[in-house]
Amino acid sequence: MTTLLDMLRPSFLLCHAVYGSMVVGFVVPLVGSYFLLRRLVFWGVALPEVSAAGISCAFMLQGLGFTLLAGGESGQKHLAILGSVVFTVAAIVFLAYTEQRGGVPEGRVGSLYALAGALAILFLVWNPGGEAEMLGLLKGEIVTISGHDFRAMLEVFGLVTAAMFVFQREFTLVSYDRDMAVTLGRNVLVWDGLLFLIVGITVSLGVMTAGPLVIFGFLVIPPMAALPWARGMLSFCLLASLVGGFCALGGFYLSFTRDLPLGPVIVCLACAVLLVSSALRKLLRKAGC
Amino acid sequence: MKNEPLLRFEDASLGYGRRAVLTGVSYEVAQGSFLGILGHNGSGKSTMLKTMLGLLPPLKGRFRARGAGGKPRYGYVPQKEKLDPIYPLTAYEVAAMGSYRSLDLWRRLRGQGPQELVRRCLKQCGALELSAKRYSDLSGGQRQRVLIARALAAEPELLVLDEPLAGIDVTTQGALLKLFEDFKRRQELTILMVSHRVQHEKSLFTHVAWVDEGKVEVGPTDKMLSASHIMRIFEAEL
Repeated sequence: MTTLLDMLRPSFLLCHAVYGSMVVGFVVPLVGSYFLLRRLVFWGVALPEVSAAGISCAFMLQGLGFTLLAGGESGQKHLAILGSVVFTVAAIVFLAYTEQRGGVPEGRVGSLYALAGALAILFLVWNPGGEAEMLGLLKGEIVTISGHDFRAMLEVFGLVTAAMFVFQREFTLVSYDRDMAVTLGRNVLVWDGLLFLIVGITVSLGVMTAGPLVIFGFLVIPPMAALPWARGMLSFCLLASLVGGFCALGGFYLSFTRDLPLGPVIVCLACAVLLVSSALRKLLRKAGC
Repeated sequence: MKNEPLLRFEDASLGYGRRAVLTGVSYEVAQGSFLGILGHNGSGKSTMLKTMLGLLPPLKGRFRARGAGGKPRYGYVPQKEKLDPIYPLTAYEVAAMGSYRSLDLWRRLRGQGPQELVRRCLKQCGALELSAKRYSDLSGGQRQRVLIARALAAEPELLVLDEPLAGIDVTTQGALLKLFEDFKRRQELTILMVSHRVQHEKSLFTHVAWVDEGKVEVGPTDKMLSASHIMRIFEAEL
């Protein structure tokens, strides 16, 4: 039987997939922490779905003969990323703009989610190029990730991680107390814009590699599990990231050894960690710790 | 420069969108003064405060804020309930936010932060021992001390306090009033304080602004808080 250590060895057939899952698990909760704190959890549901619709749209255009990017399979993937980023960033801009105008924000997010889900299916149906390969991309086929794609993902997520830590003060300030940020002369639109751009890139790339379900899970569940234990933003982000990484590795191991689908296993494991975290915190509180 | 007013309203209308909440606002806030902003709920105190902080442009007329180097350095203490308790920030992190005026990336990457300044401000407000605690776990009075420390960490010319004594026990109220008294005595700070009541605070104010029925009336404390003046305001309301 394959052990956990065997899976981490470079000789393991799916080693890029294992490390890829872990990178997604480490990085996505860093972004998700702000979703939770800004009480935008529903965005976390809608944006992966919007990203999937963007991928589907890009492939439909390719199938209809609009050759936007050449280069065979690699060109197709770049096109999918482009479609995903464009759709996700456009959705973020729309949600951020309409949020300032009041109304029922949850209703708008819900409608966007439904629309994105419907469009993803319609784009797929209208694509004369076939459905099979796109279904893989829409669901997120991290198991098939190549060494080249893994390195590209590592570079992008490395930049995302660096930005999240370097600009943590600014992101926290504009999220926590916008008025204070303005009185200090900080440009809240610029910092919000940068944060949302990073969110857009992370969600898009994450959906391409791990699928909408896993990305939504990683955006919300690890930060939820980390929150009761955190003392400060740095510890919160690091804890959330560690929980995400652990669930990705554990989920991959369970999925591989028990022959189960990867995405659902990762999400169920993350929920189990959340339950244990909440129960433990309650117990400790009762004990007066 | 000392005689230049820090803030000046000239026949300004203040409000949101096209709806004016306050009209014909004209007054100046001189450096070193302690202005008490009084009025009932919904009278427009927050609208005036937001305009002073630069969060809301005047609908009509002019508002000018000028400090030593252009725009004055603000130290803002919001109502503590406005800050979401879901954030797992420590008291130190909340206080340190006051020093986030510039990016200062190079210093940050070298690990040089404003620790000294933040610790000094926390100490000045009697909140240094709370540094490592989670801000949301603190009592109302402790939170207020941390928020005042945060405002001081901005090294302000103008300290803006939005109902700083609301929902705080009497002992802590007294301690905070002593702190404000100290700020006033040193004369380095210009202070604006929004308040519901005047019982304890009135000895601090050099000037008072009554915000009522869409108008703002400003004058020296003795005149504005005289029994006859207060009677007039409340009679008008009745």
